[in-house]
Formats: sequence, structure tokens, C-alpha cells
Amino acid sequence: MPADKPLYYLSIHEAQQLIQSRQLSPVELTRSVLERIAAVDGKLHAYINLMADSAMEEARVAEAEIVGGNWRGPMHGIPVAVKDQLDVEGAAARIRQFTKGVGDATAVRRLREAGAIMLGKLHMSSLPDADLPVPRNPWNTEHITGGSSTGSGAAVAGGLCLGSLGEDTAGSIRNPSAFCGLAGLKATYGRVSRYGLAPLSWSLDHCGPMARVVEDTAHMLQAIAGHDPQDPTSSTAPVADYASALREDVKGMVVGVPRDYINECAPRTESIVLKLMDKAIDELKSLGARVEEVKVRTLHLATISNAVIYYNEFWAAHKSDAAWVLKNGAAQRRARIYLGILTNSADYIQAQRVRSRVRAEFAEVFRKVDCLALPCQTGPAPLLKDMGPIDTLFKHVVPEYHGPFNLVGLPTLSVPCGFSENNLPIALQLVGKPFDELTILRAGYTYQQHMRWFERKPPI
Amino acid sequence: MEKALEQCLTALLAREGLEPKEGDLEQFSKIIELYMSTLKTLHSVNLGAEELGPVFKPEWTGK
Repeated sequence: MPADKPLYYLSIHEAQQLIQSRQLSPVELTRSVLERIAAVDGKLHAYINLMADSAMEEARVAEAEIVGGNWRGPMHGIPVAVKDQLDVEGAAARIRQFTKGVGDATAVRRLREAGAIMLGKLHMSSLPDADLPVPRNPWNTEHITGGSSTGSGAAVAGGLCLGSLGEDTAGSIRNPSAFCGLAGLKATYGRVSRYGLAPLSWSLDHCGPMARVVEDTAHMLQAIAGHDPQDPTSSTAPVADYASALREDVKGMVVGVPRDYINECAPRTESIVLKLMDKAIDELKSLGARVEEVKVRTLHLATISNAVIYYNEFWAAHKSDAAWVLKNGAAQRRARIYLGILTNSADYIQAQRVRSRVRAEFAEVFRKVDCLALPCQTGPAPLLKDMGPIDTLFKHVVPEYHGPFNLVGLPTLSVPCGFSENNLPIALQLVGKPFDELTILRAGYTYQQHMRWFERKPPI
Repeated sequence: MEKALEQCLTALLAREGLEPKEGDLEQFSKIIELYMSTLKTLHSVNLGAEELGPVFKPEWTGK
């Protein structure tokens, strides 16, 4: 057992080895995380529904199973928590308000079947409960975690769970992962079931893991990936062995850099982000990757296309509760309804046509490269006091680094690549071919092991 | 916000039996105007006769 590390800061990968070899009990691990929650969640505000009693009971069951020789796999006995947008039995997503939850969302059910311990539900942006405090960034509690998987960012980085399921429609896994120094994986659209995920935008929503290291996202994805007949967009493509990607080897890998697009986003990107991205790309090169500049000609229209589809589908998905939202809802939700209702059918169809064009251009680029590398944020996590209620929406309508990959459904991984001068995390984004999560996991893992940014822990 | 845009939004909301929250049109005028201007950019690209593609097809391999 790592002597210098509290149990709540073990990675899933470390904990599962200790649990499997019976050096660590799921009960002991869960108790340590619950004590951590009691000690610091008053400052971080990650949890909105803590299920401490049932978590301890699940941990006792897991312990008995493992002692009895029935170890289910890497997630067995691992304490996790989920973004509130996912339904959990007895705790439907709060943004549903006027519709029923489904019990456990498929991704939640699969985590349970893999033996994970459910600690509870985590805060997200734009909850109907306006009085809930906003989660704080464990690296500096004056700063935001990024959204909309706000609670997931705070909880994983702060040691309040070992991993979390987030949801990403325009960066909501990758942004808080980047701001909080985590590995965040948005797998290919269709790879993880959306059943039981309260919709923001059906064709853009992705459910995926947020964890402290790349290997943990691989273990979580293994548990939740695969066809689900209850999600009409779920893929029947075979599920890979994601742990097989966890080897340090990028020799010969061709990494594409969409330099023109990065330059287009540069006026809105802080120089430290660009500097650390270039350093990370140089590191990949020094490890044996070949780097090539690539151009995706219509990429500059991908962010606005993503926004058009997002807001129009949001309006359609939330039409039945729009009267309540416009009267009582959070500013971001009200604004999305206004923008959605202003979007006409020609706008929506044009965005879908651009979507096809951009997808075809990516397909062309991926004939020459194995993955893409670009920034994962425009700057370090902003100060909470500087954030207006709808600032995030401004990011969604001008070229940026997240929305394009929701639009085309490609898998992307956020990996820490350094820190700002005031000790806030910065991340690199790796993008893969459809259903080729293995390549970005391998590239991210190799880089991570070489740089070891994960060894730094937040001062909370 | 431009008067015509404000009237358009109010009419669209009214068609659905909705009305904006007091102060919202003023509070959100910047994002609404930015969004409407970027919609024009979206339509400025010449896609020729390209049709609407299906929503992302999971079986697409990019090859």
C-alpha cells in the first residue's frame, strides 16, 4: 500500500490491486472516503445527495464477496459517485422535475454490476435548486470547477470519491476535468448508453468517466461500455479491452495538430495553455510519436453548429417544463430556451449539414493520423466571483475546443499537462477515430506516466 | 436588443403560451445578439448540394 498516500487519494488502479490481493477492504476504503467527505465537502459542495448508509452496506457486501473468492473485476469495492443528471434508483435526476426517472441509468447499473460502491449524487450546473452552493475547485476554492459536471470535478480532485460519471454535451466532462487536474474521457457517441441520463440534447449528450489518472478512466469505461437496447443510438460495435491500452508506447503514432484552428481560438486562449500544449506535443514527439499539422476546413463552424443543435434539442426536450423554467429556473436554462426557440428549422438543418461536412473532413484527416492533440480549455479555472450566470453560453457560440467533438461524436480524452503560475491545472485534449478509444488512452497514458502530473495533489 | 428581434422572440414564446421572465430580454440581449449573428455565419458557408446527413452513425469508421 502506498505509505505516503491516504486511502481516499488512491487511484482506482491502485485500489483495485490492493482489494484483489485482499490487502485493502472495500469497507476500510469507503469509510476513509466518507470521512474525507465529512471533513471537506463543507468547503467543496460537491455532493447534493450523499448515500452514506447504503454505501457502507454495499461495501460490506463487496467485502464478503471478495473474501469468498468472488472478485468481479477492477471496479469491485471502488467508491464512486455520479453527476446528478444520471438517474439512480430512488434519486432521479433533479432536472427532470416533471418526468419520472428510470431507476438506475444503464451506466449506473453497469457500475453496480461491476461491484462499484455508490456514494451518492453530485452537483451539476443549472439545477432547479437555486439555493445550493456552487462547487469549489480543490486546487483553490476561490475558483470554479468548470461545468456542467461541477460536483464530479470537485469530488474526484478532492478525494471525495475515486471516480465519477459525468456528462458532456459541449465539454462538460472535459472542462471540469481540465480545471480540476483530472483525466476525463468522452467516449465515441453510442459507446456508452444514455438511457437514464436526463437529456440536454439527445444527439450530443455523452456519458463518461472522470478520474484521477488515465488508467482509471479505462477501468470505468470497461464497466459501462457496450450496446444497450434501451438507447436507440447505442452502438453494437464490439467493446475493446481498454486495459490493453495501458502501456507506455507511442512509437510511430502519428499525432495531428489542427494548428489553423488553434490559431483561430488563440485570441480567446491564454498563452500558458498554448505554451503547455506545445510542450506536451513536444514530449509526445520525444517519446517516439510523429507530429503533423492537419487542417479541417469547416471546423470553424463546428462550435456554432453544436450550439444550434444543443439549444434547439434542449428546447424540444424541455418544452413541457419551459413555463416553470422561465419563471423559476436558473439563468442558463432560461437562456437556452430563448436561444432554442429562436433557432428555426433551416438553422437546425444547416447545422446538421455542417455536421456531415465536418465529419467527412475528420474522416479524411484520420486517414493520415492516429489521433489529434489540441488544448482542452481557454485558460485556467476562473475565479468564482468573476463568473456571470450565463458566461458559459458565450463560449458555446464562438470557435473553441470542446463542442466540435460533441458534434461529430469522436472520442476525446482530457489529460493534465501542467499548471499555471498560480497552481491551477491545465490539460491537453487528445481526439481519436470513432470507437478507437484505445489510441487516445495509450497516448494519454504514455504522456501521463512520463510527466507524472498526477502526483501533485490539491492543497485542500 | 433590436426591436424586431425582441418582438420575434416574444411572439415565438407567446405562440407556445410562454412569456419571458421580467428583465431577461435585457439581461440576455448580448448572448442573443451574438447567437443570431453567428447563425448568419453558419449560413454563409457554401455546402452546394450536400444533403443533411444522418445523426452520427456509430458504425462509421472514418475509412
